[in-house]
Amino acid sequence: MSQTITIDPVTRLEGHGKITIQLNGQGEVEDAHFHVTQVRGFEKFSEGRPYYEMPGLMARICGICPVSHLIASAKACEAIMSVRIPPTAALLRRMLNLAQMVQSHALSFFYLASPDLLLGMEFDPKLRNILGVAAAKPELGRAGVALRRFGQHIIELLGSKRVHPGWVVPGGVTEPLSGAKRDEILTILPEAYANIGLALAAYKQIADRFQPEIDVFANFPSNFMALVNEDGSIEFNTGALRLIDAQGAIIEDGITASQYAEAIGEAVEPYSYTKFAYYKPLGYPQGSYRVGPLARLNIAKSMGTPRAEKELVEFKQLASGPVLSSFHYHHARLVEILYGIEKIEDILNDPGILDKQVRATAGVNRLEGAGQAEAPRGVLHHHYKVDENGKMLWANLVIATGQNNKAMNQGVLQAARHYVKDGKFTEGILNRVEAVVRAFDPCLSCSSHAFGQMPLAISLLSSNGDVIDRVVRS
Amino acid sequence: MPENPIRCLILACGNTLRGDDCIGPWLAHWAEKRFSADPAVNIVSRQQWTPELAEDIARAESVLFVDSSAASEPGEVKLVPAAPAAGHPALATHHANAPQLLALANELYGLQPRLAFLLTIGAGATNLGEEFSEPVKRALPAACALLETTVHGFLTGNIPRPIGQRS
Repeated sequence: MSQTITIDPVTRLEGHGKITIQLNGQGEVEDAHFHVTQVRGFEKFSEGRPYYEMPGLMARICGICPVSHLIASAKACEAIMSVRIPPTAALLRRMLNLAQMVQSHALSFFYLASPDLLLGMEFDPKLRNILGVAAAKPELGRAGVALRRFGQHIIELLGSKRVHPGWVVPGGVTEPLSGAKRDEILTILPEAYANIGLALAAYKQIADRFQPEIDVFANFPSNFMALVNEDGSIEFNTGALRLIDAQGAIIEDGITASQYAEAIGEAVEPYSYTKFAYYKPLGYPQGSYRVGPLARLNIAKSMGTPRAEKELVEFKQLASGPVLSSFHYHHARLVEILYGIEKIEDILNDPGILDKQVRATAGVNRLEGAGQAEAPRGVLHHHYKVDENGKMLWANLVIATGQNNKAMNQGVLQAARHYVKDGKFTEGILNRVEAVVRAFDPCLSCSSHAFGQMPLAISLLSSNGDVIDRVVRS
Repeated sequence: MPENPIRCLILACGNTLRGDDCIGPWLAHWAEKRFSADPAVNIVSRQQWTPELAEDIARAESVLFVDSSAASEPGEVKLVPAAPAAGHPALATHHANAPQLLALANELYGLQPRLAFLLTIGAGATNLGEEFSEPVKRALPAACALLETTVHGFLTGNIPRPIGQRS
């Protein structure tokens, strides 16, 4: 008789989901799924609204990465308006997006993942949290808190609010940067550099201890997709998408926002409210791919900033081709934090950064528009259709977590098959299965546009579907 | 080590669009006006308390947490001492409570405010909207007076007297 293990809710995630592990009659893992169990329906209820309200509305999908939604949404609106935003507005948006990436990655690495990495996968679950990290490694805890504050402070300085700033609008931004704010951000850069240096050094010291996890944490060949510039350097706001295979060969290059819908499809599985994005020419599931920090570093030929460039060279030495283990998402996040700090410094030193011309205006000039940007977890795509008066008729959002969905499910199955033997499991084993999902840093609120609390749960099912064990955490 | 010590930190929490959940931000706004000329009083209002606030708490000599309460009767005003949470309880990334933040400040920076209190008004209704319920409207003057007295107590070294605390 088969059995099912349920982890419900999976903890330390941005969202609410659960994992089920199905065992066969011999107690071996037959199948496993990562379920996203909530739905919000932002695409539907935006219908009928004026298109220019969309950035503000869509940003409410998420409290962690609202800036990415603002930017992708504003770009879709600008495609409808047929305007090009002023160069200074583009720089300011880039800085805002990078500040968000820094704070979001700091949240993922220090608050969500570091309890596993610094305290150990088998550590007492009651103490395996950020307070436990603060007690065991206070210098790293302080670095994490400070990096999160760094990103949030820049967002607040630019957009007046830490969460859901309304500063990004169709056509640019509402207000230029003042010299005083620029100088204030410049003064906090040295501490940010020191903190990310500390974190990178600490991570490299401990990473080798996790070789068993590296081997089975969603470690398999897959395609990868990310924005890049024409010279192949990493890009978060402009550029075009590149899709590579598991050997690093380019499958398709130069996918713009307007071409996205032709290239990318979304499959549906019965066990999740999050869709499964795939590259249409390869079909589903062969065309599935990974996005986010791991994909970006696998695809980028260079970072374009000196310190992050050195880190990229070191990162690429982890494998002869693309780095395939999703455990390395953690490392990639730290490299991107460093890149974000360097790039923010570059932007602040740009001679045109205080220019007052930061917004272009226009009405409806097209009835359809799409925008894309890199969110912390991967590329984000907004696609809108409007009527002649600019009223929203239709919207589709393709979110990073949906694009990683197939890989997360494969990763959960890989880890469950490796760790669950003879139908037996321990808390440490289940934590490792959860940690596979955590490595991707999924945002389930974004991916399902879901409402509610954010924990995740694991079920162990028998071969006839009976729940024989269930782990629920709050 | 956090720099720039704060003599008195008022830390408010609540959603301005959810009726009585706006008690914290409303009192913070009132305090901003009341103490606008006093540089010793620092006011921070957030929709949710998050771990980053531990640094502000570690810098503060005294902290007054201000929030609505679902556990109190609607309109009931309470002032109770706040102490660090024992052990290492799980801390959510999106919302933390006063004991968790005090514990995190202690673990990260080895510092605690000399005085820490929690001022609450019992929430009557937290539906969508920007209106307070009648019990909360009636309680606001008393809450403002208590906030003012507590802050003066912090600044003069007088330990506030708890109100509404169960023995």
